[in-house]
Amino acid sequence: MVVGVLIVGLWWLVAHNAGSGWVQVLGDLVFGALLIGIAGPFVVATRALVTMRSAPGDGIAGRPVEVRVESRSRVRVRPVDPPGPEAFVGPTGRRGAVDGAITLVPLRRGVHHAVTLEIASAAPFGLQWWTKRLQLPLPAALHVSPRCGSAQPVPLRPDEGTGDVLDRPRSDVGLPRGVRPYVPGDARRLVHWRSTAHAGHVMVRELEQPAGEPVTITVELPEDREAAERVAEGALASVVGLLEGGVPVLLGTREPSGPVLAAVADRRGAGRRLARAVHGPGGATSAEREGAWR
Amino acid sequence: MAVGLLEAVRRANQPGVPENSIRLRLACLGSVLVAIAACASLQEIALTTAVGAMVLVSVGTAFSHATRTRPPAWVKVMVAVGAIGACVWFFHDVSSPAAGITSVINPLTVLLVTVLVVHSFHVPSRRDLLFTLGASAGLMAVGGALAIDLRFGLYVVAWGCCSLWALTEMWTSASGGGRISTAGLVLALGATSAAAAAVFLVLPAPVVSSRVSFIARAGAGGSVGVPGGLAGDSGAAAQLSRAGSPASRIRVGGYLGFAASLNTALRGNLGNTLVMQVRAQRPSYWVGETFDTWQGQSWSESQPVPRRPLRESSPFILPIPLGDVPFGQSDLQTFYVSSATANLVFHAESANEVWFPSGKLYVAGDGTIVSPLGLGTGSVYTVDSQVSTASPAQLRADDNLLSLAPSTLRQEEQLPHPYPRVQALARSVTAHDTTTYDKVQSLIHWIGAHTHYSENIPPLPAGADTVDEFLFGNRVGFCEQISTSLAVMLRSLGIPAREAVGYVPGSFNPITDLYQVHANDAHAWVQVWFPGYGWQDFDPTAVVPVTPPSPGATALRAVGSALGRIPPVPVAAVVVGAGLVVVFVRWRRARPATWAERVTRSAERAGRRAGRPRRPSETLAEYAGRLDGLGAPEDATWSRLASSVEASAYGGLDPPPGTQRALVLEAKRAKVVRRHGAAPADAPDRPLERV
Repeated sequence: MVVGVLIVGLWWLVAHNAGSGWVQVLGDLVFGALLIGIAGPFVVATRALVTMRSAPGDGIAGRPVEVRVESRSRVRVRPVDPPGPEAFVGPTGRRGAVDGAITLVPLRRGVHHAVTLEIASAAPFGLQWWTKRLQLPLPAALHVSPRCGSAQPVPLRPDEGTGDVLDRPRSDVGLPRGVRPYVPGDARRLVHWRSTAHAGHVMVRELEQPAGEPVTITVELPEDREAAERVAEGALASVVGLLEGGVPVLLGTREPSGPVLAAVADRRGAGRRLARAVHGPGGATSAEREGAWR
Repeated sequence: MAVGLLEAVRRANQPGVPENSIRLRLACLGSVLVAIAACASLQEIALTTAVGAMVLVSVGTAFSHATRTRPPAWVKVMVAVGAIGACVWFFHDVSSPAAGITSVINPLTVLLVTVLVVHSFHVPSRRDLLFTLGASAGLMAVGGALAIDLRFGLYVVAWGCCSLWALTEMWTSASGGGRISTAGLVLALGATSAAAAAVFLVLPAPVVSSRVSFIARAGAGGSVGVPGGLAGDSGAAAQLSRAGSPASRIRVGGYLGFAASLNTALRGNLGNTLVMQVRAQRPSYWVGETFDTWQGQSWSESQPVPRRPLRESSPFILPIPLGDVPFGQSDLQTFYVSSATANLVFHAESANEVWFPSGKLYVAGDGTIVSPLGLGTGSVYTVDSQVSTASPAQLRADDNLLSLAPSTLRQEEQLPHPYPRVQALARSVTAHDTTTYDKVQSLIHWIGAHTHYSENIPPLPAGADTVDEFLFGNRVGFCEQISTSLAVMLRSLGIPAREAVGYVPGSFNPITDLYQVHANDAHAWVQVWFPGYGWQDFDPTAVVPVTPPSPGATALRAVGSALGRIPPVPVAAVVVGAGLVVVFVRWRRARPATWAERVTRSAERAGRRAGRPRRPSETLAEYAGRLDGLGAPEDATWSRLASSVEASAYGGLDPPPGTQRALVLEAKRAKVVRRHGAAPADAPDRPLERV
């Protein structure tokens, strides 16, 4: 913009002292183009209406998360929080698609209820970019789980090593107890086809819950963000390792609402819990544990 | 700080992202080609050079596009060496002592064209293309510095279109394919034009700097046969100018008075031919020559030949005319001769210095300058004139005639015979005036109040005295007769006065900032001598503005005048007709195409009237059910109609044409009747669902 003002000023000085009307007329045209090239994007960026169209509920720190936004005018969008590479959204022509994908690359775990975007435009001449910050609420909170770090050693149970317990059973295996109607979330391989054919709707096998004693992992995040990230990564690795080994896990964390101790069934659940976790001691007391089980 | 500067330079020189848009390159190429063509049309560069440059720039643009991702290193070296070489040549060429702005323009054109040619081979990124666009703007400006007519506007329009295309393509490229809609393009173009027009209207006219030398060019004039003689009659330089005669009253640019004598008995038919254009700091009378000897019907010069030749090189320093007083301020004028005219060097009031394309000039004692060359089309010369700035108060206070030489005083008061009636009239008009200035003004006012200007009068008979005929006849005459009458009245009062001929400033062109002088702008007026301020112009028939006109105000006046000439009835008829066509086309597009659409439209209209507009999420059957629900329980007209429409739309079950017409008619006649107790029309419906 400064360069544009300098060009116009210098041009007018030369035109005015050269005594030629055509030079001044050309200078007027250059001024008009520069003015619209500078002020036009300001208007476009100010009036740009960007709305959130869809976004996933889960993500992993350091991994790209794609959300779809919509804009009636062509704008450059750069995610600021969580950060991400810039992309262009908006119609490329008269009948072009108004929506487009932008990629978020969250650096740390956390829960995002909104994304902060930097909207920029240089329309109509591409001479000057004007930007504005915009906070768009997400349709559902985006839980960014920590990366899967190095698993911490889990303390041995008293009976381990004696030969009485060779392996922990998987949480989704057990003795069939009966069949029940399908509810969302049930594994496909538990569908009982014969009962389904008989009942007319999908039935699944109901299994006995594993009898194993759950492992309680209490996560106490330090105040330092980086250190807390590392602790969360390690905790997630431990939880995932235990779950893959078939061990039920009780995860104790401190969330903004207070300490929470609850069972986690899979990586996603553990990731969400750790995404919500804040600095402070986790919920490991017996009272909390009781409450959690309830 | 040095490190920061280096870092900034390094960042600025980082290669940009390769530009893949062919359209952007074509648009920039178009701007450059138009700019080169514009300069060639003004002869700032030779035609062959221009054609060669155009070819090279086109080849360079194609080469740049082909090598945009990996530009060869030797190209960068070539561009750097070429640019440095062109700059060295330019500064060497313009560093001569006599270099002025006009002597810089041609080398500057060559420099810019060379830079554009060399640079076109290394334009990998968008930033480089923007530089190309800027350089083309500079080239257009250099061309515009020498443009003196509106034909240059064609190049400006073409260049503007190419540049606008390039700028929009720049946005398209920068935004990953985003295209500006037609409406957006029109809006951007309109806003750009409006901003440019606003600046144009606000800015004052450009001034001519007095610190640079000016252009002088010989046109298609040829040599004058008689040294120091006045030639150019009928456009032929070899033919001496003749005083006007009733037999040959028509001349293109040659005024009947641009000769050894001025015949006031007749006025020439001059036509509206553009004689010359003048670039000046302020409007003024463009003086050609003056006459000091009155012979009853014609004016002549007391010392016509020989004129003193000035043998110098341009610029010529002119001597102060006899009896004149150097007072006032310097004023520059450049005269661009458009049609062959007399070989008089025009100027404002008195000339100090002349830039002229010849080895000598002839100067008369009264300051009249005569060229040894015929002034044909294309001749250009520049004059530095002395323009009086004396105010009326200063002129009133300056009333001592003794400082003029007695012989000169006698000549400027000379009369061929006593004018007792004229003297009596002049004395009666100026009876209450004590100063020369007041006497002159009183006489001018009297002439304005008691005489009429007209060019359509027959020539005076031979031997008749112009002043007596005019003042004591029907008092109708043209500028030569009126000004002569004023001069004679002044002389009868003992006030030195003489007749001056030349041109009024002409119409001001707000685009070129030139005064356009036409043949019928030729004029005669009176110069009155004031001891402290020299010869001062007084005109009883025309008024010359004292300040330079504003381009914006002039343009607005021209637009207003043009609009005022538009006949209102035909234009209003065209506008109304166009409006009717638009309304008809929109109605044709909006009207329902099928019977089903008509029924649907009728249902929606009836519902709207009843305060039940159709919701966006509502199907026709649902809507019809809602409308029926408002009326009697057994009434299901709308539902029946809706089922017919849906059967046609989704089941392909079109009823026979007769039934279709009946259904449409029924839908038109059907009304939504609310039964007693139904919800009022303004009762809120359930919230609309956005689909």
